[in-house]
Amino acid sequence: MQVNLMEFWPRIWEATYQTLLMVGISLFAATLIGLPLGIILVVTRHGGLLENKPFFNGFSTVVNFFRSIPFIILLVAILPFTRLIVGSSIGTAAAVVPLVIFSAPYIARLVESSLLEVKPGVIEAAESMGATPWQIVRRVYIPEALSSIILNLTIATIGLVGASAMAGFVGGGGLGDLAISYGYQRFETDIMIATVLLLVFIVQITQTVGNFASKKIRRQ
Amino acid sequence: MIQFENVSKIYQHNDSELRAVDQVDLTVHKGEIFGVIGFSGAGKSTLIRLVNLLEKPSEGRVLINGEDLAKLTKPDLRKVRKRIGMIFQHFNLLESKTVHHNVAFPLSLSGTPKKDMNQRVKEILEFVGLSDKAKQYPEELSGGQKQRVGIARALATSPDILLCDEATSALDPETTKSILRLLRKVRDEYGITILMITHEMNVVREVCDRIAVMESGQVIEKGSIFDLFSKPQHPTTKNFVRTVMENDIPASILNGIDERDSSRNIYRFTFVDESAGQPVLSQIAKKFDVEVNVLFGQITELQGVPFGHLVVELQGEDPEILRVINHIQQKVAVQEVTSHAG
Repeated sequence: MQVNLMEFWPRIWEATYQTLLMVGISLFAATLIGLPLGIILVVTRHGGLLENKPFFNGFSTVVNFFRSIPFIILLVAILPFTRLIVGSSIGTAAAVVPLVIFSAPYIARLVESSLLEVKPGVIEAAESMGATPWQIVRRVYIPEALSSIILNLTIATIGLVGASAMAGFVGGGGLGDLAISYGYQRFETDIMIATVLLLVFIVQITQTVGNFASKKIRRQ
Repeated sequence: MIQFENVSKIYQHNDSELRAVDQVDLTVHKGEIFGVIGFSGAGKSTLIRLVNLLEKPSEGRVLINGEDLAKLTKPDLRKVRKRIGMIFQHFNLLESKTVHHNVAFPLSLSGTPKKDMNQRVKEILEFVGLSDKAKQYPEELSGGQKQRVGIARALATSPDILLCDEATSALDPETTKSILRLLRKVRDEYGITILMITHEMNVVREVCDRIAVMESGQVIEKGSIFDLFSKPQHPTTKNFVRTVMENDIPASILNGIDERDSSRNIYRFTFVDESAGQPVLSQIAKKFDVEVNVLFGQITELQGVPFGHLVVELQGEDPEILRVINHIQQKVAVQEVTSHAG
C-alpha cells in the first residue's frame, strides 16, 4: 500500500503543478477580461455613470448566456476556437482557454456586485467634485471595492480549481484528472485520497490567503 | 450668487408625474448663509442638487454667478463643479483613504502638484481642527470629525459656494453646534456663500441669515430668520417655529383660566428687539393701579436680537387696564388671550 503510493509521487506532483498552472493562468486572464466587463455592467446600468439601457440589457444577456453553459459542454463546444488560440485542442494550455471563457463572465458578475457595494453617496460626492467617469472608476470604485473584489476573486479561484478537474477531457491533466483516471477508474483508492486531500489543501490555502489579503487591503 | 428662476424638477413615473421642485424662485446672495427648511419629501434635497447639476432642471434656470450650468459642456461643467463644494449627511468619505488623502482627493483630480497639494491639505486640516488626524482612516473618527473632514475636502479647491445637504442631521446636538460654528467661520473667513438644507429649525436659527420654507416642492415662505420666527405666516412655518419656540400656552395654565371666570384680563405681550430690554412690567406696576401676574413666557435670541413673549394677567379695574394697554402698546405688541386659541 505504502509502496504503491510512493510510486505515484512524481505523478501527483506533476498533476499538482498542472492544476496550479491551469488555475493561475486562467485566473489571471479571466480577471483581465472580467474586471472591465464588471465595470461596464456597473457604469451602464440604470442610474450608472454612463447609463445606457439598451447596451446594458444586451450585454447583461450575453454575460448570462455564457454563465449558463455547463463547463463540460463549453469545454467541448469551443474546441475549434481553442485550437485557433493555442494551436492545439489537447493539453494543459488547451484547457486554459475554456476555463477563461467559463470564469470571465462569472468574475464580471462578482466584480459587479463588489462595485455595487460602494455607497452611491461616495460616487455622488466624487461627481460633485468634478471627477470624470474614468477618474471615478479608477480612483473611487476600484480602491473602495478592492477588499471585496479580492474576496470575490478568491471564490472565483476556488471555482476554477473545481472546473479544472474536468480538464482531463481535453488531456489537460491536473489533480482532478488524476483522481478520475487512477483513483476512480482504476480503483486506486490511495491516489484518490491523496489528490482529494491536496485539492482540499489548495482550497484552504487559497481562502486563507484571500481573507488575509482582503483584510490587509481594507486596513491598508 | 445662486439664482433659481422659476425652476421645476419633474420626475415622470409611468403615467404619473412628481414635481419634486415646483416653480421655485430664490436668490442666495454672495457671502450669505441661506437655509432651506422642510420636512422630508419637501423637495429640498432635489433643490440643492440642482445647484451643481447633480439634477438637471426640467423647467426654468439655475444661475451660478450669472452662468447657467445646464448650458455648459461636460468638461466645463466639471470645472465649475470644482468651484462648488458639497458636504453630505452621511459624509461620503472614501473609506479606503486616510484623512489626508480624502482632503487631497479633489485637488488630485485636477492634477495639482504634490507639494502644493500637501501644503493646502495641511492648511485646511488646521482650519477645521484636525491636524493630528491626517494619517487616520475615516472609520476611526467620530461623526463630528468625519463631517470636519467632509468640510475640509469641500474647501480644498477654494470654492465660492458650499452646499450643505443635511450636514448635521446625523450628529448629536453638541456636535451639531460645533459644526455650525465651523460653517460660520468658513463664511466669515473665506466669504463663501453657503446654501444649506435641513429639517431642523434650531440649525437654521443658529447659523442662517435668511431662510426659505419648502413644502411639496414649493417655497411657501422666505425671509430673514427674524421675520420668519417673529411673524410666521404659513401653518408649516408656524409648525417649524414651534419646534424651537413654545408659543402655545401650556394646557395646565389654560385650564386654570377656563375654570375660573372668563372675565379675567389675560394678554400676550410680544417683545421684539429693544423692547425686550425694557422693564415694561415693573413700569406698569408702578405707574398704574394694577397687579401684574406673569402666567407664562419665553425670551430667546435670534441673530443677536432678543425676541420673545410673555402671557400676563392684569388684575384691576377695567378702565385702568385699558389705560395700561394703551400705554404699553407703544412698546410691545399686545394680543388679548381669550380662550384656548392662545
